[in-house]
Amino acid sequence: MTDGRIVVSGLTKHYRRVRAVDDLSFEVEPGRVTGFLGPNGAGKTTTLRMLLNLVTPTRGTATIGGRRYADLPEPVREVGAVLEASSAHRGRTGRNHLRVVCAAAGLPTERVDEVLRLVGLTPAAKRKFKGYSMGMRQRLGIAAAMLGDPRVLVLDEPANGSDPEGIRWMRDLLKGLAEQGRTVLVSSHLLSEMQLLADDVVIIAAGKLVTHGPVSKVVDGMADAGQVRVRTPQAEALTAALGDQAQVRKEPDGALLVTGVDAPAVGAAALRAGAELHELVTERPDLERVFLELTAGKEAIR
Amino acid sequence: MTAVTTTPEPQTASAPGPAEASGGRAVHLVRSELLKIRTTNTWWIFLIGVFVATALAATVWIAVGNSQINTAAAGGEEFVPPENASEAELEITRQQSELSQDLTRTLHDASAEIYTSGQFFGLMFALLLGILLITNEFHHQTATTTFLVTPRRTQVVLAKLATAMMGAGFFWAFATLLSVAAGAIFLATKGYGTQLTEWPVLRAILFNALAYGLWGVLGVGLGVLIRSQIGAVLTGTVAYVVGTFLIQQIVFALYFLLDWDWVLDVMVLWPGVASQVMISPEPPYPSSPSWWVGALVLIAYGVGFGVIGTLITRRRDIS
Repeated sequence: MTDGRIVVSGLTKHYRRVRAVDDLSFEVEPGRVTGFLGPNGAGKTTTLRMLLNLVTPTRGTATIGGRRYADLPEPVREVGAVLEASSAHRGRTGRNHLRVVCAAAGLPTERVDEVLRLVGLTPAAKRKFKGYSMGMRQRLGIAAAMLGDPRVLVLDEPANGSDPEGIRWMRDLLKGLAEQGRTVLVSSHLLSEMQLLADDVVIIAAGKLVTHGPVSKVVDGMADAGQVRVRTPQAEALTAALGDQAQVRKEPDGALLVTGVDAPAVGAAALRAGAELHELVTERPDLERVFLELTAGKEAIR
Repeated sequence: MTAVTTTPEPQTASAPGPAEASGGRAVHLVRSELLKIRTTNTWWIFLIGVFVATALAATVWIAVGNSQINTAAAGGEEFVPPENASEAELEITRQQSELSQDLTRTLHDASAEIYTSGQFFGLMFALLLGILLITNEFHHQTATTTFLVTPRRTQVVLAKLATAMMGAGFFWAFATLLSVAAGAIFLATKGYGTQLTEWPVLRAILFNALAYGLWGVLGVGLGVLIRSQIGAVLTGTVAYVVGTFLIQQIVFALYFLLDWDWVLDVMVLWPGVASQVMISPEPPYPSSPSWWVGALVLIAYGVGFGVIGTLITRRRDIS
């Protein structure tokens, strides 16, 4: 059994005229959910497909537990992957789709019914794939990935097309799997969802690494984006008391947005100025704002 | 999806067992490929096609055989040299006359034709099965799953080649059972044995099996080369049905009009012609090469397509 660490090192993929992935390096730790973020066309899918030996890298390596995917003796038992929602024959039932995978991997057929239960698809198991909703297709994909009870899970846009219920279910499932010590790497462009789900993030744009690390660190690293919202009838007095360090912007609704100082400093200034406070909130930047700021100007269409 | 919120549970209770020997992997892959065929509708639709083709062809060949055997039993046809005939035409007429006077050879020829009834369309279905076996993976985007389970792609292609041969072999067994039953009854009513112990007849039946298997392999190879399902199916069908007919017409036209002998020799290079040459006890056309030349040509195509298909699949990016 491997330790389930994913190491991407100098990974590069050139298509005829485009550098889809350009010297990308990052690591993904077990026991955590890692969000793999980037604008559309940033190279997320290509990176995941190179990790899984579906696309040959131009340069660089990607290993799982120290080994390339192609060198894993029994990949299904070590890595589970969900890459496309619509990757089953339309005329085949969900259960038969899983039986085909089971047979190829040499897994016992009992696993089929176990994973169907795990994803809650048992009632629809004998229906044909073409009758599945998007959410059911996602669940079938996850069921297939879980057949070998793998240490490592790789998911490409798993929430695409899911309803809120399905997204919530997916979040609980992936968090639970990470808590069991598994490695969970999940790409997405749904940033609000990632903020709820991910422990770590890897952000790429135009095929290059922008930043990576724990979500809180990445968000706090953008200190400039932090601001204090304050509401007071004595706006001029407060602004004067804040001094030169703070920049104050007036919102249309009368609130003041203060950057450059933190909330206690604003409170202290209000006390000195004798300003009456109706609201004092620190607005932490969210992942979405950080993401947009970090990837701004890096064209998605190349 | 209704409110089915499953909390993840530890799966230690039934974690998969220990690794199995790699020798079992080939069996697993073929079993998986066979399951892919069995769990969709294609196979029985094709089987109905094989049935219809075999039944119609057997009826025709029994009628033809009936008149040939009657002629031979009555002493055959005298060799009457046609007037103003070329050397080649004379030779054809002489051969036909000789055959019609030999009851044993006529029986062999007629039985072999009956017992391989439906070969033309049967081989087409074997070809289509091979094509679908590989193009389905791209059409339904299951190639990703397949190559995730087995990153060693050569093994996947080899399993598909083996499965195509097995599926084609199943079509052959079905068609042969049908036509041997009908043919044996026909021969019995005329007072003859089944002819199944005669080598030329047995050879035709056995090599018909080889033809089915090899056409399944050709299908897989064609499916790799032309990934689009509709494209591969159309190309394969048109090349097989129209191509074989056209090539025969062109070759015979060249032969009779320009007196080119060599066009008849090279015609066997077309796989549709090669399989006819391989299974016919009597030459299917004048100066046709021996049956084993047809066999070698088909095997060469099978191996060539198999190798090219494997090499392409190994290198291709799956996205």
